[in-house]
Amino acid sequence: MLNNFRLSMAWVHTWFGLVLGFVLMVAFFFGSLSVFDREIDRWAVPATRFEPQPMPSYDNLLADVYTRLKPDPVDMAATAKRVIGELPAADTMPLVSLFAYTTHRDPVLLIGGEFGIPNQPKNPADDHLHVHGRATVDPRTGEFLPDDALKIGSDWFYPLHYSLHLNWMYLGTYVVGLAGLVMLLALITGVIMHRKVFREFFTFRPNKRIQRSALDLHNMTGVVALPFHFFFAFTGVLIFTGFYYFPVSQTLLKPLHDQHEVLEAAHTGLPHDEAGIPAPLASVDAMVAEAKRIWAERDMAGEVGFLTIEHLGDANGYVSIYRAGSDRVALVGEGIHFRASTGELLREDPPSPPVEAVARFLTGLHLQHFEHWALRWLYVLGGLLGCVCIATGFVFFVEKRKQDHARRGLQGCRVVNALAVASVTGMVLAAVAMLVANRILPEAMVGKGEWEKAVFWSAWGLSLLHALWRGAPVAKALRNPAWAEQCWLLALLMVAAVLLNWVSTGDHLFKTVVTDPYWPVAGVDLSLLASAAVAVFAARKLAQPRTVEASAQSREVAYD
Amino acid sequence: MNSALALPMISRVFAAIFAVYAFIWGVVSLGVVSLSAIGVDFHSAEQSMLMFGLLLYVALFIWVFAVKSLLRIWLVLGLGAALMLSAAWLLQPLLLCQEAAC
Repeated sequence: MLNNFRLSMAWVHTWFGLVLGFVLMVAFFFGSLSVFDREIDRWAVPATRFEPQPMPSYDNLLADVYTRLKPDPVDMAATAKRVIGELPAADTMPLVSLFAYTTHRDPVLLIGGEFGIPNQPKNPADDHLHVHGRATVDPRTGEFLPDDALKIGSDWFYPLHYSLHLNWMYLGTYVVGLAGLVMLLALITGVIMHRKVFREFFTFRPNKRIQRSALDLHNMTGVVALPFHFFFAFTGVLIFTGFYYFPVSQTLLKPLHDQHEVLEAAHTGLPHDEAGIPAPLASVDAMVAEAKRIWAERDMAGEVGFLTIEHLGDANGYVSIYRAGSDRVALVGEGIHFRASTGELLREDPPSPPVEAVARFLTGLHLQHFEHWALRWLYVLGGLLGCVCIATGFVFFVEKRKQDHARRGLQGCRVVNALAVASVTGMVLAAVAMLVANRILPEAMVGKGEWEKAVFWSAWGLSLLHALWRGAPVAKALRNPAWAEQCWLLALLMVAAVLLNWVSTGDHLFKTVVTDPYWPVAGVDLSLLASAAVAVFAARKLAQPRTVEASAQSREVAYD
Repeated sequence: MNSALALPMISRVFAAIFAVYAFIWGVVSLGVVSLSAIGVDFHSAEQSMLMFGLLLYVALFIWVFAVKSLLRIWLVLGLGAALMLSAAWLLQPLLLCQEAAC
């Protein structure tokens, strides 16, 4: 394409990296926050600040909780559009299947279920005729958590990390998938471009001019964490491949897939369809006890992480019990299935075949259900190194071109610079502004979560406008003051968030660390304070006039 | 980059994203059908082809920017995708057992 292979690869690296880099920043930064999504949830929903709980008793508590579960109005409206005739009243829909999910970090329990409807679908091939319901409950009492309390970690930052909250036609998921692919490409083309990988491992010259130090840092963070970046981009894309990117089994190869499902259902003995005969439910607690006994027998005693009942109240109903994956990387549930009406053991899932075991290990590595705090922090570190790598890429892009653009009167650098500000300090601002709003808005406010989301997007939008407005110096090859200004604002908001948490809940750091330790909240507070310190450091550094040694100016690098 | 270079470059970018995508669809589909035909479990076949497909996507993406002839790129990817997808579609019925045999 271009004159030689290395130049072509540099073109791919620069332009795909620039365009998709902004998406990658979101994926890496909010992915890093998602490592501690449950802890951010505790910070944002003070009513749930208590110790993680095991799966509660079904017979004594959950059975009653599910009678209070209601169909979700949003899903009801969506389903109403797909079926012929009016939907029955929400209160009359029978619950036909249910699930309960918890992990070793969850004080609260996520429950949900499918409500049956008698309507026929408009599209005969539409075989998913249910209305869903979902709720978060306190497993100690069975109380429902109000829907207005948004779990900022697991219901906002985490989905943002892979969907950008662009849900129309799953557009966000496809864009993030392409960005993941570009991350893999950028790593490979980056290595091809630079060759001197080993030397770059040890090269960082912070006192040279910005273009040089930014490139050093870009290369160093890229190379130091190369396997981490490669693995996370690869496994992240892999998680969604079968369902979104290459859904062969639901489209082209659906006949083959469906035949396999039917054969498998016959093989597993788990009924695929309802019998149409009502049947009572035997003791689920007894089934849980039996499942735990079987796991202990396999020398892998554990807690229940996931429990489902299919064909609830039907003679074909069955209960599936899966192990929480706290002590292993691969997502293996060791599922054990019982006949719902009698409690008779129907099936124990066999170990996965080798290929699937590899896939489960890879996806498990990304989704990290395991209990290992040091490893969790390494994940955060790796993710943030990824952010540094991408952000220094933007900085290098601008630094390399701004003299030339200034001479020719072009505005390209100014736009890229503003986008870089919005995707570095602006993104963090949005997240912290959301936390501040979360502590200022009254706890019982109707639609509190929606307001928090509005604050998040507005803060992000404003940071971009601010960076564009303040960006005139960039067109003259000078620095955008928005960088330093947003750093100061960040530091201010981060300290404010910690203080507001203290004022609104009484959980100050001395209490959460010393007198009554509660690490999820203490961890968020301490991270905010540490980030505030980094922001102040950066802001002060940015305010210093640049003294560039003459030698640094004259020595150019080969790929400048 | 000047405007004379722009059009071929757009074509190349489209080929890298979409033509390679279609080609990988072909590879995954035909791969799953072929593996199923020699007795590999459907899900194992699917998972292994998806992992392989992703890595091949990255490799072909690079190939698109390394090869000179645009025509060759589109021909290889387009014909390859069409051939593999139709082969998968035509071979699939042979693997579906008849009502009586199931």
